[in-house]
Amino acid sequence: MAVKVLILEDNPAAREFLGRVVRESFSDTITIVEAGDLESARRAVRIAGGAQGYHGVDPFKLILVDLELPDGSGLELLEELRQYPATKIVTTLYSDDEHLFPALQSGADGYLLKEDRFELLVEELQKIVRGEPPLSPAIARRLLGHFRTHTRTAMNRRITDEGNGAALRAPAAAGSFTSSLAFAAPSPVEIEPPLDLPALTPREVEVLTFLSKGFTIKEIAALMSIKWFTVNDHIKSIYRKLNVSSRAEAAVLASKQGLV
Amino acid sequence: MSQGRVRPMGWRRLLLLPIALLASLAVVLLARTIAQTPNLDASWRLDGNGHLQLIATDLPWMRPALGHSLEVIVAPGITPLVVDGRRVANSTRWIANDDERAAAAEQQRHMAHILEAGTPVLLGFTDRMNARVVPHPRGYTTLGITFWLLCGLGLALELVGAVVVLVRQDVQTFLYAIMAQCQAAQLLLAAVDAVPGMGNISLLGGHEAALRMSLDVVTCAALLNATLLYPTPLPPRRLLSWLSWIAAIVFSTAALAFDLPQAWWWCEALSLSTGLLVMGLLGWSYRITPHPYATVMRRLSIVTTGSLALVTIVVALNDRMPGEVQSLVTAVPVIWTVFFASLLLMSPFLARSQHMMREFAMLAGVSTLATSVDLLFVAVFSFNQFASITTSLFVALGVYAASRQWLLDQMIGARAVTTERLFEHLLRIARKVEEQPERAADWQLELFHAVFQPLVARHEPGFTQSTRWYEGGAGLLVPLAVEPPTDVSPSQFDDGDRPEPRLIVLRFAERGKRLFTAEDARLADRIVEQLKRAVAFDQAVERGRSEERSRIAQDLHDDIGARLLTLMYQAHSPEEEDYIRHTLQDLKTLTRGLAAHSHRLSHAAGEWKVDAQNRLQLAHIALDWQTHFDRDAELSVVQWSALTRVLRELVSNAIAHAQATQLSVSLRLSDDRLQLVVRDDGRGRNPQAWAHGLGLGGVRKRVKQLGGEVEWREAQPAGIECTVVFPHWSLAAA
Repeated sequence: MAVKVLILEDNPAAREFLGRVVRESFSDTITIVEAGDLESARRAVRIAGGAQGYHGVDPFKLILVDLELPDGSGLELLEELRQYPATKIVTTLYSDDEHLFPALQSGADGYLLKEDRFELLVEELQKIVRGEPPLSPAIARRLLGHFRTHTRTAMNRRITDEGNGAALRAPAAAGSFTSSLAFAAPSPVEIEPPLDLPALTPREVEVLTFLSKGFTIKEIAALMSIKWFTVNDHIKSIYRKLNVSSRAEAAVLASKQGLV
Repeated sequence: MSQGRVRPMGWRRLLLLPIALLASLAVVLLARTIAQTPNLDASWRLDGNGHLQLIATDLPWMRPALGHSLEVIVAPGITPLVVDGRRVANSTRWIANDDERAAAAEQQRHMAHILEAGTPVLLGFTDRMNARVVPHPRGYTTLGITFWLLCGLGLALELVGAVVVLVRQDVQTFLYAIMAQCQAAQLLLAAVDAVPGMGNISLLGGHEAALRMSLDVVTCAALLNATLLYPTPLPPRRLLSWLSWIAAIVFSTAALAFDLPQAWWWCEALSLSTGLLVMGLLGWSYRITPHPYATVMRRLSIVTTGSLALVTIVVALNDRMPGEVQSLVTAVPVIWTVFFASLLLMSPFLARSQHMMREFAMLAGVSTLATSVDLLFVAVFSFNQFASITTSLFVALGVYAASRQWLLDQMIGARAVTTERLFEHLLRIARKVEEQPERAADWQLELFHAVFQPLVARHEPGFTQSTRWYEGGAGLLVPLAVEPPTDVSPSQFDDGDRPEPRLIVLRFAERGKRLFTAEDARLADRIVEQLKRAVAFDQAVERGRSEERSRIAQDLHDDIGARLLTLMYQAHSPEEEDYIRHTLQDLKTLTRGLAAHSHRLSHAAGEWKVDAQNRLQLAHIALDWQTHFDRDAELSVVQWSALTRVLRELVSNAIAHAQATQLSVSLRLSDDRLQLVVRDDGRGRNPQAWAHGLGLGGVRKRVKQLGGEVEWREAQPAGIECTVVFPHWSLAAA
C-alpha cells in the first residue's frame, strides 16, 4: 500500500522540490497530495478520514506544512491536527526560533529549512521520520527558558501558599534604616490555577544546554558519556514534554475563556 | 540630634500640654511682676557724661525738667541715691570689672528699693531743677516690644527642649534640654533687662550677674558633652565630661555663694575655651566618620565662638570707649544671646526640612537684627519705642533679604549641581539606561552620585516606595527608577534567587559637607519620576523603530526570499544554485539583523558552529571548533551580521576551493581583543596572489569597517590560515 503524504506549500516550485525530497527519502511507494492553501489542505484531510485520523480509512502518514500561506498560517492546521497520527513537519524559510518554536508547540515533530541542499533535506527528513528531530541552538535556548519559567511559576506558587499571603505584607512604614532594607519585594500575584506541567529532568536540561552552545549529538554523547541514541531519546522526550505542556496550557486557556 | 523617625507621642503629647502651660504661666507672671512694680513714667537716655537725661514724660510736674539730666533721687527714710546712668540701666552680666559690677548691682538694688517703697520721691536734676513724683506701676503696655520678643523666643526654646526630650529619651536629648532650659532662662533675664526705664526689679537681689554666668557655664558643659557623643562618640569623653561638669559646678557655686573674684573673666574664659574645644572635637569627629552634621555644626560653632570672642573684647574695652558708644556696647551681648538661642533652637531641625530651616534662619535673623537695631535707636538716637521698632524692623528685613542666600549657603551648604547640569545628567543617564539596560542600576547610581556627590553611594536590595532620609539627613534611600531586565539566559540558570538591587543608598551629601534635607528627598523623587518618563519615552520610540524594522524585514524576507527560493529550485547548475542559496542566506542574515536588537556572543557562537558543522558535513570536512570568551559580550546587530558573514564566507571558501579534510575554527575574546582563526589543511597556497572576488573582498571590507585586520597565510604542513583580529572589540560597535 502506498504511503500517503500531504504537502502544503503555496510555491509550486517548492512543492515540486519537496515532492522530490520525499520520494528520494523513502523506498516505499509514495502518493503525494499537494495543497496550495489551508482550505485545500483541510479538504484533503477530510477526504482522508478527518482530523482525528480514524482507522479504517487511509490517513496521511507524513504531512509537510509551510508556515506562510495565502489564507493563513500553517500553525492553524498544526493545531487542528494535534491528534492526527502522522509525522508533521514544518517546512519554512524562517530558521529563527521566533517562528519555529510556536510550530513545535503546536505539535510539529520537526522542521526543514527550504533553502537547504537537496541531500541535506533528504537526510534531515529521514532523521525526523526515524525519530531524530533537529534542535537548533536558538530553539534549545527557548526550550530552556520555557521550562524554567514553568518551574519558577510552580516554585512561586508554593512559596505563596506557604507564606500565606506574606507577599501582601506592607513594607515597614517608618521603621529604622535596617528594617527598611529588609528584602520586601512583592512576589507576583498568582492568578493562574495550578498546572501540572511536565518538568525537564536534569539530564534533559544538560542536553539542552549543550545543544544551545552548538554541540552536536555525538559531541554531547561524548561529553555526557552516554550513547548518541540516548541523547536522541532525551531530545524526543523534550519534544513530547513541550507538546504536552503546550496542550495543557491551551486547555487552561480554553477553560478560562469558557470554551470547555 | 534629630532622628529621621517620629514615634507616635500619645502620653507624651499629654505631658507637653502642662509643660507649655507652665512655661507660659511663668512668662505671664514675670510680666505681671514687672508691670506692677512701681516705676517712674518717663523715658531716659544716657548722655555723654553717663547721666540719665529725661527725654519724655507724661507726668505734668516733670515736664519742666525735660532735657535735663538726673543727678540724685531722694526718698523719705532711705539714703539718697546719686544716680550713675550707666550703672542703673545696664545688665550686670556684661560688666568686666568686679568693683564696677558690684557698684552697678548696688546702685540697681538701691534704686529698686527707693522706687518700690511706694512713697513720693524727689528727683534732683542738673541746673537745680527738682521734681516730686509718686512712682506707680507701669502696666503691661510699657514693657516694650523687645521684652515680648525675647520672652517669645525663650518660650519657644523652652518648648523645643521639652519636645526633644519627650520624643526620645537618651543622654543627647537630655543634654540638649539642659542647654535649651538654661538659654531660655537667660533670654527671660535678658528680657527683664530690656524693659525700658530705670531700676530693675529686686527679684534676684544682687545675684543677677552670677546667675546668668552660671547658666552660661552650665550650657557650655552640656554643649561639650553633647559634642563628645554626637555625631560620633569620641574616645576621651569620660574625662572631658567629668572635667566640664566639675568646672561648671565649681564655677556656679563660687559665683553664686562666694562672690568669686574676676568671675566675668572666668566665665568668658570657660565659654570661649568650650567653643574652641567643640570646634576641635567636631573636626576630629569628622575625620573619624565624615558625618555632615559634624561639618555643619563646626561651621556654626566657629561663627558662634568668633562672635563671642568679639563680644568679650568689646565688653572688656567698654571702659575706655567714649560715652555715646558705651550705650551701644550694652546692646551687643543681648544680640549675641539671641543669636546663640536661635542656633540652639534650630539645631534639632537642621535636616528636617530645608524650608523649616529657612523659616528659622529668617526668624533668628530678623529678631536678632530687629532687637539690635531697636536697642541701638533707643540708646543712641533717643527714638521713641514705636518709631524705633518700625525702623529697626525695616532695616532688619532689608539686611536679611540681602544676605539670606549667603547665610543659608553657609549654614546648610550650597547644592553643587545647578538646574542646567541636573537636566544634562538626567538626559545623559536616560540615554545610557536605554543603551545598556542591563547596567541600568549602575547608571542610576552614577546619576545620583553626580547630583548629590555623596561620600558613599551603593546598591542595596530592599524596597521603598519613595525616597526617604535617615539618621537626621546623613543618608538617603532612593528607589530605582528603572530596574535592570531580568535575564533568562541559560548561563545564569541557577542564580535566580539572588536578590536584585532595588535601592540606591546615599550617605553624606556633598562629600560629607552637607546634610540631606526633605527637599533633597523630594528632588530625588522627582529625578526618579523624570527618569522613568524619559526611559518610557525612549522605549516607545525604540519600539516604534523596531516594529518598523521588523515590518521591513518581514517584507524583504517574504517577497524577495520566496522569489529567490523559486529561482534556486529552478537553477540550471549546482554553481548557480549555490550562488542563489548564498544570496538567500545573506538576505536572511540581513533580515534577522534588522529584526533583532542584539545577540550574545555565546549564543551566536553556538549558531555559527551548527551552521558551519552542517555545511562542512555535506562536504565531508571535519570541524574542530574552539571558543574561549572572558566575557559574554553583547553583540550589536552590526557586529553580529559582520561576524556571521565573515565566518560563513571563510567556511564557504574552504569548502569551495581548498578540498580540505579538516577545518579548525578558533574564536577568542580576551581583554576586549577578539581573534578569529580559520585554518584548513587543503591544497591552497600563496594567498598573497589570490584574486579577491566578491567573497573575500567582502570579508576584508567588513573586518575593516569594525576596525579589525585580516590576514591570510600558508599554514604548516599544508593549507591556509586566516586570522581576523579586532584589537578593541567593544569599540567596534559601529
